[in-house]
Amino acid sequence: MKSLLFSRFLLLLPWVLIVIIVLDIDSSRAPLPALSPRGGAEGGSGGARPPAPRRRPEAALPTIYAITPTYSRPVQKAELTRLANTFRQVSRLHWILVEDAAARSELVTRFVAGAGLPCTHLHVPTPRRYKRPGLPRATEQRNAGLAWLRQRHQHLPPPQPGVLFFADDDNTYSLELFQEMRTTRKVSVWPVGLVGGRRYERPVVENGKVVGWYTGWRADRPFAIDMAGFAVSLQVILSHPKAVFKRRGSQPGMQESDFLKQITTVEELEPKANNCTKVLVWHTRTEKVNLANEPKYHLDTVNIEV
Amino acid sequence: MLRRRNLLTTLLIALPWALLLTLWHQYPTTHYLNLLRSKCKSSREGGFPSCTRQQQSIGAVPKIIQNYVYSRPPPWSDTLPTIFVITPTYTRPVQKAELTRLANTFLHVQNLHWVVVEDSPRRTNLVSNLLEKAGLNFTHLNVETPKSLKLGLSWIPSHTPRGTLQRNLGLHWLRDSFSNTAPPEGVVYFADDDNTYSLELFEEMRYTRRVSVWPVAFVGGLRYESPKVNPAGKVVGWKTVFDPNRPFAIDMAGFAVSIKLILEKPHASFKLEGVKGGYQETSLLKDLVTMDGLEPKAANCTKVLVWHTRTERPTLVNEGKRGFTDPRVEV
Repeated sequence: MKSLLFSRFLLLLPWVLIVIIVLDIDSSRAPLPALSPRGGAEGGSGGARPPAPRRRPEAALPTIYAITPTYSRPVQKAELTRLANTFRQVSRLHWILVEDAAARSELVTRFVAGAGLPCTHLHVPTPRRYKRPGLPRATEQRNAGLAWLRQRHQHLPPPQPGVLFFADDDNTYSLELFQEMRTTRKVSVWPVGLVGGRRYERPVVENGKVVGWYTGWRADRPFAIDMAGFAVSLQVILSHPKAVFKRRGSQPGMQESDFLKQITTVEELEPKANNCTKVLVWHTRTEKVNLANEPKYHLDTVNIEV
Repeated sequence: MLRRRNLLTTLLIALPWALLLTLWHQYPTTHYLNLLRSKCKSSREGGFPSCTRQQQSIGAVPKIIQNYVYSRPPPWSDTLPTIFVITPTYTRPVQKAELTRLANTFLHVQNLHWVVVEDSPRRTNLVSNLLEKAGLNFTHLNVETPKSLKLGLSWIPSHTPRGTLQRNLGLHWLRDSFSNTAPPEGVVYFADDDNTYSLELFEEMRYTRRVSVWPVAFVGGLRYESPKVNPAGKVVGWKTVFDPNRPFAIDMAGFAVSIKLILEKPHASFKLEGVKGGYQETSLLKDLVTMDGLEPKAANCTKVLVWHTRTERPTLVNEGKRGFTDPRVEV
């Protein structure tokens, strides 16, 4: 009798375990985007590192989407590297890299594979006639980023919390900025350093509302703000499906105004950064590199990516 | 009849165990789920967000994210050699931006101690506040370059060895803080505030025994300059166009020195005057090591892990003579 019970118990045990484990897996699995790159460096960089300290991924924490247009030039990899180093410090940030190229370049593909944060790699070439100096740049790339975002979210039913901002690859972002923009309800704005021929440009705020613009260049624009000075909530982007950066009839310096006109008004803007009195992002630009000593024909024995 | 029944029963017994094994193999974390849950609850007050990700790691989450994303520097390890980074800096509009993005990079590196030396008569609030808020281990020093040196050397801008006094002060601080009899495990690296560093670079330099070298991008008018390494793994020369016959034709960002060596040779420092353009690094390294003592890193000097980027001076034309913007707003 005992042995019969024993054997029955042994028979049932593994099935019970399986059921428990499957239930556990189902309950703790959460929907995650499948676009994250797979990397190899698990042992990574020396020593016992604590695994993945992201902030607790509650459903309420809005994802920040950063659209970065980029183009091929010597400092491209350096710029993307230091931008990635900053973005990796921010939890729940999804990076959308759009190349100004007809096809995905190897450099950026390899970079994205080892970037270490969720990244989407798109590409769209700028037509040559729009590459003249004085014309707004990266319009097609930003629109491609917007289109990807809209297309991806049209299938998901409930409004997903999210914030979108445009991150040029040579600017400098402090980590505080991301905390500020994450609470955007519609469109938020903040000061930008080293732009408009001044130490900083900022929206003028009274009683928590934006009433004017403090800028050195064409203060008569409806939204006298730089591309790095605002963020838009995902909801607003999805509810204005036709809002894109314009090419036809666009004047230089009016890109931001033309875009923001389509989605919001000055009264609705939310000032961040302590009522727009702190500079948390700088419009830095990197010098063009001096390659005067490069030989005309490739003379080195190895081909090294820079 | 009996045999078939026996077969059936063995199959029935073996099947669930096989399923269990495959499940455990696929999802190795499930076994530890319950343990983790209890650990998490107790350590959440300690601010250790390390475990929460594990619960979600079943399935399609790539491993590399788990290794690199930090919100603060990784905890100090007692076994890992320390990287002392000496950064000279000076006040100009882009200073805060440069130091910010440098801090964002350094926050990823374990056991890093940042020595920031300002070229100013007093330590400025801007840098002090930035260092406090960053969360890194740091030392904040300052020494002003005398105006005579600044003016005299600025005649030939390309030959101005800037930051010399500041770097020497950093070395001096190291020699003061650590004794030669019990040197810590570590390495010293001179990082200018406008360059770009990949995270891999720090792991390459961490285990330097004496002096290690690697290629640097965008110096000497080339895409990159690098040491010439023979098949045996020794440095035999320099792949540069600008004066490759220098004893050490390498940029400040292209080498690291072990602390032990710095403490062993207390008189080795950067020469201040009479230094020809491009010879500043030589003025330090010649007292520390010879060419055959150099350790090539970055896959025998075939990978570029540091870029000598320079930031444009911002055009502040609209500030005017008296300055238009509120000087109390820190930029």
